[in-house]
Formats: sequence, structure tokens, C-alpha cells
Amino acid sequence: MKELRQLRQENLETIFHPKSVAIVGTNNVKGTVPHDILYNILKADFNGIVYPVSPREKSIKGIKAYKYVVDVPDDVDLAILVFPSSVCHMALEQCGQKGIKSVIIISAGYKEVGEAGLKREQQLIEIARKYDMSFIGPNCLGVINTSPDTRLDASFAREMPMAGNIGFLSQSGALCTAVLDYASAKHIGFSKFISFGNKADISEIDLLFYLMNDEETKVILMYLEEVSDGKALMDAAREVIEKSGKPILIIKSGRTNEGASAAASHTGSLTGADEVCDAGFEQAGIIRCDNIEEMFNRARAFAYQPPPASEKVAIITNAGGPGVLTTDAAISRGLKLAKFSEETTAVLKKALPATANINNPVDVIGDARSDRYLAAIQAAFDDPDVAGVFVILTPQSMTDIDTIAADVARIAEGQTKPIYTSFMGEKDVASGIDILQKANIPHYILPESMCDSYQAVYHFNKKVKDKVHKLPGLDNIQRDLARKLMDKVKANGRSYIPEVETIEVLETYGLPVPQGKLATTADEAVETAEKIGYPVVMKVVSDDIIHKSDVKGVELNLGSADEVKDAWKRIHSNALAAIPDATITGLYVIKMVKGAEEIILGIKRDPSFGPVLLFGLGGIFVEVFKDVSFGVAPLSREEAMHMLEQTKAYKILKGTRGRNPRDMDSIVDALLRLGQLAVDFPEIEELDINPLFVLDEGSGSVLGDARMILTKTE
Amino acid sequence: MEKNEILTRVKDVVSNVLKTDPGEISDDSNFIFDLGADSMQSVELVAGFEEEFDIEMDQDKALEIQTIDDAATFIAGYL
Repeated sequence: MKELRQLRQENLETIFHPKSVAIVGTNNVKGTVPHDILYNILKADFNGIVYPVSPREKSIKGIKAYKYVVDVPDDVDLAILVFPSSVCHMALEQCGQKGIKSVIIISAGYKEVGEAGLKREQQLIEIARKYDMSFIGPNCLGVINTSPDTRLDASFAREMPMAGNIGFLSQSGALCTAVLDYASAKHIGFSKFISFGNKADISEIDLLFYLMNDEETKVILMYLEEVSDGKALMDAAREVIEKSGKPILIIKSGRTNEGASAAASHTGSLTGADEVCDAGFEQAGIIRCDNIEEMFNRARAFAYQPPPASEKVAIITNAGGPGVLTTDAAISRGLKLAKFSEETTAVLKKALPATANINNPVDVIGDARSDRYLAAIQAAFDDPDVAGVFVILTPQSMTDIDTIAADVARIAEGQTKPIYTSFMGEKDVASGIDILQKANIPHYILPESMCDSYQAVYHFNKKVKDKVHKLPGLDNIQRDLARKLMDKVKANGRSYIPEVETIEVLETYGLPVPQGKLATTADEAVETAEKIGYPVVMKVVSDDIIHKSDVKGVELNLGSADEVKDAWKRIHSNALAAIPDATITGLYVIKMVKGAEEIILGIKRDPSFGPVLLFGLGGIFVEVFKDVSFGVAPLSREEAMHMLEQTKAYKILKGTRGRNPRDMDSIVDALLRLGQLAVDFPEIEELDINPLFVLDEGSGSVLGDARMILTKTE
Repeated sequence: MEKNEILTRVKDVVSNVLKTDPGEISDDSNFIFDLGADSMQSVELVAGFEEEFDIEMDQDKALEIQTIDDAATFIAGYL
């Protein structure tokens, strides 16, 4: 039996390039889905044979119809099921009997309607597995392939889009129709357009792999409502980017924090589903977009223009104000203004009037016509420091908008540097924008969108595309010993694991544990303190006490045997005053760390992405400051360092206001080890290290406190 | 009433509403998959059965019936 991924890829090839299509359950009633699917296939000039299958009609649209798909005398490559959901399984069974491997199920009434629908969906999956079939859907708008050798519009969209090199996938069929309309107005073409609906069989991951190998697709766009398997999506995205270099842009809706459950740990309460999604997408090289406009602004830049070699741009404008706005937008997004060479300056001085500004941004001034624009744009293209050209236009009475647009389109052809435009306004510039869009010159209503899109392309091509996700080898990992300790803890049926036992487990993975010991008597506490050296810290250890500080169960800076003995009594008394029924196992005596930075590290298991790591400024106010970052385990060394760089704490750790730089390598090492621990032990639901004391550079770090929560078993 | 008589009369109603040759209607014919009834016709069929048998059926349950035989069994429950 073929491996499922390979089977789906083969069947997808047939879905997109069928030589024959059966529309099963179609009819003659205009304005219904079963009719309109067939109508669209014919209207798009499908380059193959069409077989309508209808229980009652002898013919549809002048084409002979068959009662059942098994009655069709020839082989059928693709079946499109448009029967109601109550009988689709019967149609699918017949498709299987006929040897059809590739199916699109348009019909709704499946898992989206509840339990009964889910059962019907599972029935479809069983039939598909039985016959080695693959299907897109159910509950989808359909599939479009604009390739001239196929021209398949197997959807009930209003119009077939124009051909292009953007592949679009969506979980929402209704959004698809809005996107098609939006794209049509902006002359944006698609290679493949896919509504995958309930993704009961073929998922967005299968489709990503398909588009990876599709020669007509240069950019992949996706709309997702839920990420069922975040880890698989990350792995797929990495593979797609590595093998094809194609950018993947995703809108993932549902940015609320309701996913962050009321968790026992700081890490748990800080880790929301959307933050995890952001982290996972970034690690995988996926470009997350906030809305359709942003997605298509960036997509056009990727699809239509060469990638820029650097962040240095030249701005050509006929008005000072928009030139400044564009400059502000560029700089705030990390772009730079190119510095013109003497030759460029000389060319501009000759071509432009004395009142023009020949420095970057170049202002060809308000009465400029196409000749000045052409001269300035060409000079910018020729300048060695310029990597990309922005053309800004405002419609003065003498501005020959359409000519300028046509000139931009002409001059851009064959250039190795990208050109982006912003013709500001709406009515007067409309025809000029139309010319630009038809010529595949990216146009943006706002300079901010233009700069954002340039930055997205630059960043992807320079920082993401060739990134190698290499996991570091870690020494000093005692997996078997950790397993023994975890089994011992789990045997007691506990899910909350307090500090001492958590630190024992962390030690087996090479994390820097404090010097110290659990003392069950005051004398033992003194003995330990004398052994490790004063000052020491003492903390209450009890399965019934989670937040030790809240019960005054922690004492710091104990400098003598007498202080230890006094603290012993006080801690016991405080703890039992706060929680009278608490069983106190003992007090943990550890060497005090002074002069260190306190940070928090954590693990939380996300249902979709798996183990997620957290880093941030620590201490008891961590939930107040929320200066944290996330990473999906396992991490590469670069990803771990990037987690630090994303926070305000990073500047503190680098050394500021006369303070020494801290040992960031030790934090990175700790994150890598925690990540490995989380991957190796799926029973770890949450884990907090708060604080990790980070010493000066070269001096390492020490765990201050830690606790773990395991998955509850029935 | 005997099941066979119910079946015959059910098929007559179906033939009239769907304009289908009675010879093409068997006991296990599925209203949608084999006979091509759409949602409007399904409602007409329910109304036709009620008139034919002088009964009043639970509409929601009646619309869930899939085959001729199931319909005859369901109607028999009202007779």
C-alpha cells in the first residue's frame, strides 16, 4: 500500500489536471450548486471531457447525462460530488467501484453541522481509504486551475480568475468568493485556487506540498480558521521553503486569548494560543498576515517583482509631503535611503529643474510630467547603491498619469531591481493604477503598505529562505535516569510536582541546579548550610503549597546556624498558619545567589503545536510585565537566541547603564535542554523555572525555583 | 393495510410527483440518489403521501426517510 502522502500527491495531480470530469448529482436547475458547478466547468472552456451524472435528467446543457457514475462507459479522472450529504457516500462508493481515485466533495452537511454530520464525514473517509481515493472537502467551494492546458473551474464561484502565479488555499469557501472579486478588480491572477472546506481527507499540508512542486505557482497564500496540527504545518512549511524557495503567507483568524487556560503555572497563564501560533509560524518561515489586503499587498511584491538585494531604496515623488511620509514609513520598517553616487547626482541635476530635490527622496516637483519621472527612475535603477525604487505620484492638473504609468511599466521590464508604486488618490489616478496592475507593477494606496511589502520580500529572501533548521547535539543528557524519576513521581498519581523533585529531573538534562539539599530537621538544615556555605535560602517543600512566597514560606540571606534555626521555626509556623492542613515534607536549603538577573523559562504543551518554550523577565511580577517570548520545541540555537532578542530583557542582559553583560549562552543552553526534555517526555504539561539566576558573562546561571505539572491521568 | 399495497401506492405517488416511469422505481430506490428528488420535491412527496393515505405525519421525521421501503414502513406506523 502506497504511503498516504505519496498517494495524495498523485491523486492531487489528477484533481488539478484531469482529462475527464464527472459531476455527480448535477441537474438542470439554474442557480443551484449542482447546476452551476457544471456550468462553470463548461464556461471556463475545460480542456477535457465532461460527464454529467444525474438520476433524472437524460441530458444537461446538451450533453448526455448518465444515471449513475458507474454507467459512464469511459474512464473518469475526477469526480465532483454535488449530491446532498445524506447520499454522497453512495456516490463515493460508486466512484470507488469505477476506479476513480480523485474526488472533490462540494456538499455541505458534515462535521460543521455536528455529531451526525461528523459520522457522515467519517463514512466518506472509510470509503476513500478502501479504494485508495483522495478527496478535497467536503463543504467546499471547489477548485480552480487556470493553466491553459486544463482550464478547470470546478467551483461555484461567480467568475474564473485570470491566470497568474499565485496559489491560494482557503478553509472558508465564502471568503474565497470575496477574494476572487477583490483580486479581479486588481488584475491579480492565480495559478491554483482551492477551497478545501472541512479537510476531512486532503488537508492544507497536502496542498502545500502539491504547490511546492507546481511550476505555475510562485507564491502560496492560505487562509486558515484553525491549525489542527501546528507541528506538521511547521515541518511542511520548512520543507516547502527549503526545496522550492516559495514564500508562504497565511492569515490565521481567531486572535483572541481564550485559548490560554486558567493554568497553575506562570508559563501556563502567559501562553496564549495566538502567541504560540505567531512563534511557530515565524520559526517555520511562514509570513503571517493580519488581513486580506496585507496578504495581497505582499503577495504582489513576491509574485511580480524581483527580490531586492538590500534594504536601500530610492524614492521618486512629485510632492514633498508624500516623499517625507514614504521616507518615514520606510525607515520605521527597517529600510534605508540609498546614497546616490556622484554620477547619479550629475544625471539628476541635468535632467531635473533647479528647484527639484536631487537627493534621496528625489522630488521631481509638482509640475513634473513623464519625462522627469522617466529620467529620475532610470537614474535610480542605474545607481549601484539602490536596490529598489519607489514611485510616488500625486495628481496635479498637468500630471500625465496614464503616460507615467505606462512608462513605469515599460522601464520596469527586464530590470533586476524591483519597482513599487503609490499613485495617491482614487478617482483621477484610477486609470493609471489600472495600467500598472495590468502590467504586474505592484501598486499600493498607502506608502506604508508599499514599504511593508518590500520589507517582507527582502526579509524572506535574505533571512528566511536559506535558513537551515539545525538542531544542536546536547551532551550530558541522562534520559534513562530522567525516565526513572518521572515514573517514580507518576506512580504516586500526582500531577503537581514541587521544586525538589522537579530540580532532580532538570539535573538529568544538564540544567544548572543550585547547590543544596532537602532537610527534614533543623539540624539537617544547619549541616547542609555549613556544607554549601552561607548565605543560604530556605524554602518550604509541601505538595499542598504551590506559591511559597504567598505563605511567607521563603527566607533569604541566612548567614549563620542560628539564623537557619530561627528561620526553620518561622517558615513552619507561617506555612501552617496560611494552610493549616498542609503536610510539610521539609525545607529546601540552597546556596543563595547574589547579583544575578532573574529570568523565567517555561514549558507549556499546546494541543496543536506541541511543547512550547517561554523566556522572559522573571520574578513574581512576571504576569504584570509580560515581557516574554515563545518558541516551539525543539529549538535550534539560533531560534533560542532569537527568543531572547525579541524581549526588552535582552537589552538588560546585554549590559546597560554600567551593568555587566550577562551569560546569555547559559540561557540559550537551558532553553535547548528544556526543549529536549519537553519533546522526550510528553507527559510534561507545564514547567516553570522562575527564576533562573543569570550571572555575568562567562559565569553561567543557576536555577532558583522550579515546578512541573504533568498531564492528569484518569 | 398490507405492506405490499402501501408500497404500490407509495410508488404511484412518487411516479406522479417526480414524473418517473413506475418501472424505474424499486422497493430499495433512494429518493435522492436513485430517483433524483430535490428538496422541494421531497416536501411534495410528503404532502402526496399524507393525501394518499389520509394521515398527518411528523414532517421532520418524514423528510429523513431515504428509500421507498422505509417510506412504506413509516406510513404503516400511521395506519
